[in-house]
Amino acid sequence: MILPMARVRILGPAKLLEPTLATLQDLELLHLAAPHEVPGLRPALVAGRAEREARQYERLAAELDALAAAGIARIAPAAQPADRPAAARWARLARRVRRQVASLDAERASLEQGRSELARYEAFAAAFADLLPRLRADGGVRTWDLLLRPEPAVLAGLRAALGEVLGEGYELVTAELPTGELAAVLLVPAREAGRVEGLLLRAGVDEMPLPPGVEGHTPAEALAGLGARRAALERELGGLDTRRAALVREHGLELGQARAAVGDRLMGMTARRLAAETPHTFVLEGWLPADDRPRLAAQLARRVPGPVVLEEVEREEWEGEPAPVVLRNPRLFRPFESLTAMMPLPAYGSIDATPFVAVFFPMFFGLVLGDVGYGLVLAAIALVLRRLGKPGTPLRSVSEVAGACAAFSVAFGLAFGELFGDLGRHLFGLHPLLFDREEELMSFLGLVLALGIVHIVLGLVLGAVNAFRGHHRRHALGSGVSAAMVVLLLVVLLAAFQVLPRSFFTPAVVVLLAVFPVLVVAEGIIAPLEFLSTLSNILSYARIMALGTASVMMAVVANQLVGTFGSVTVGVLFAVLFHLVNFAIGVFAPTIHGLRLHYVEFFGKFYSPGGVPYRPFGHWRPPRPNAA
Amino acid sequence: MEVVWITLSAALAISVPALATGWAQSRIGPAISASLAEKPELSTTAVLLVAIPETMVILGFVVAVLIMGRAGG
Repeated sequence: MILPMARVRILGPAKLLEPTLATLQDLELLHLAAPHEVPGLRPALVAGRAEREARQYERLAAELDALAAAGIARIAPAAQPADRPAAARWARLARRVRRQVASLDAERASLEQGRSELARYEAFAAAFADLLPRLRADGGVRTWDLLLRPEPAVLAGLRAALGEVLGEGYELVTAELPTGELAAVLLVPAREAGRVEGLLLRAGVDEMPLPPGVEGHTPAEALAGLGARRAALERELGGLDTRRAALVREHGLELGQARAAVGDRLMGMTARRLAAETPHTFVLEGWLPADDRPRLAAQLARRVPGPVVLEEVEREEWEGEPAPVVLRNPRLFRPFESLTAMMPLPAYGSIDATPFVAVFFPMFFGLVLGDVGYGLVLAAIALVLRRLGKPGTPLRSVSEVAGACAAFSVAFGLAFGELFGDLGRHLFGLHPLLFDREEELMSFLGLVLALGIVHIVLGLVLGAVNAFRGHHRRHALGSGVSAAMVVLLLVVLLAAFQVLPRSFFTPAVVVLLAVFPVLVVAEGIIAPLEFLSTLSNILSYARIMALGTASVMMAVVANQLVGTFGSVTVGVLFAVLFHLVNFAIGVFAPTIHGLRLHYVEFFGKFYSPGGVPYRPFGHWRPPRPNAA
Repeated sequence: MEVVWITLSAALAISVPALATGWAQSRIGPAISASLAEKPELSTTAVLLVAIPETMVILGFVVAVLIMGRAGG
């Protein structure tokens, strides 16, 4: 249900505005709103100064957020208010720490690049482990360590160019590196070095760079020093980690507390913008759940050091303004708020659909899945999800919705006599309590259409109530007449097919024809078309029967697989696999179509979106990650 | 011979809407995927838009069942 809200006005001496705001921030009860315009009232802040100050705090908050994202600031509740001296100190600290972090990051990037070059050179050295130490000692030979693109044309082109310049007087040994690049060692007589240098330059062939720390050495010496260099690099990287950890230890908590304090301050500034004052008094207005009003009054009287008055704004004064919406449902229905939350929030004063979704959604789901075995498997999954999800998280809601769906699936499974399709019938002699879905398709269709009529008529009645509450009398009359016409049409059909006594037929037709003009008068000339659309909405519930029949047929086919293979083991394996697929479809399809029946067919009759979420003025909290 | 026609009618009642549903979803799918890339908050609308054409094949299935019921099978 949507909680009734009260709009309240707080008045007091201007000097008590700050302590009042601080109290309201601690209580986290009042959703602030701009006071109604009264001559003599003006905004409590000089706009230019306030904006300048807010921008400074926003910049500081962004800086602290960046440090939190970098893992330096550890968010914690504020330890002191973010007054100007504290904010200036934190800004200096944040700048200093940010510079240190940037320097650490730059050092780390450079070291990591060195490590990656080292790894590359090690791969190169490993590819020519035998060749390098032997050949580099020869003073009459000049060697190049090369990296080539892996295309065959590159290597062939290089060989052709070398052959043209040196004939047979060179050696080119190649090996593929784990990175996919082609490594090569080129050996030529030292006297030809100049010509080959120019040739390689023109061919755009890269020389293998020596890793930092071993430049200036011959490759053979470099090779020997690789291990030592790697150890040094790891030591330096470890040193950086230590320095970073020290930074977190020294300033992390203070910066995190500063972020919370600055967030509180910014929220306070936003709240202040909504305050108004005369030369001697301030005025604050806002919304809170009507039941919380006495608590707010008592706390203000206790905590604000001076006379502050809390009065309720008369409903006539705020009629038509969008009051914030708080949904509060009984514990059993609460998980289903996650399903209604997928639609925009209902407007204040309209109807919260959650209790109806909590009843009908699992029922539709159960009608489709309708199998004791599948229901128990779903219940087990729901239990596991419940264990994994913490209270109040979406995962916990999903587990509870799944639990309700499982309960309905088991109940309808007993009604239809199904346990993994017809397996229960064969193994345990399970018999349907209601009817056999596999055989009595028309009974199933009748049941779901009857349910559709109940659902749609309920939607129309809720629509009438909603419109009546919103003072849309004609629309309320139209919805009510539509609901009556659906019922009358049902009576006519049942009488025509002699389910009801034949004597009901003529009076029902007469009343139906009599109320039809009322519908046209109330809803306009489009009303007949809308009524036809309502009837097609009812037919849409036939999808429950279609999906349910498909589900049971698939389960029966899965069971038949056991006998169709030569081996029983193979047959059972295939049957289990088929049941798993059917279970997955059996969970997915009723979820999608159950939601669709609610969002399109049911909500379309009464739902009024456009509610403003209730956001009481309170303390800053870091944005919540998607916690499970 | 009558059974053949009834069976054929039932087959058409399910297959033609199935093709129509497939065609409709093939147009809706890419369009809604593109929208979701820009506005992930449209996921509820996406589910509904993809589920709406399925009404055709589901009602086709119901009609096919009714036709087969008439044939006594």
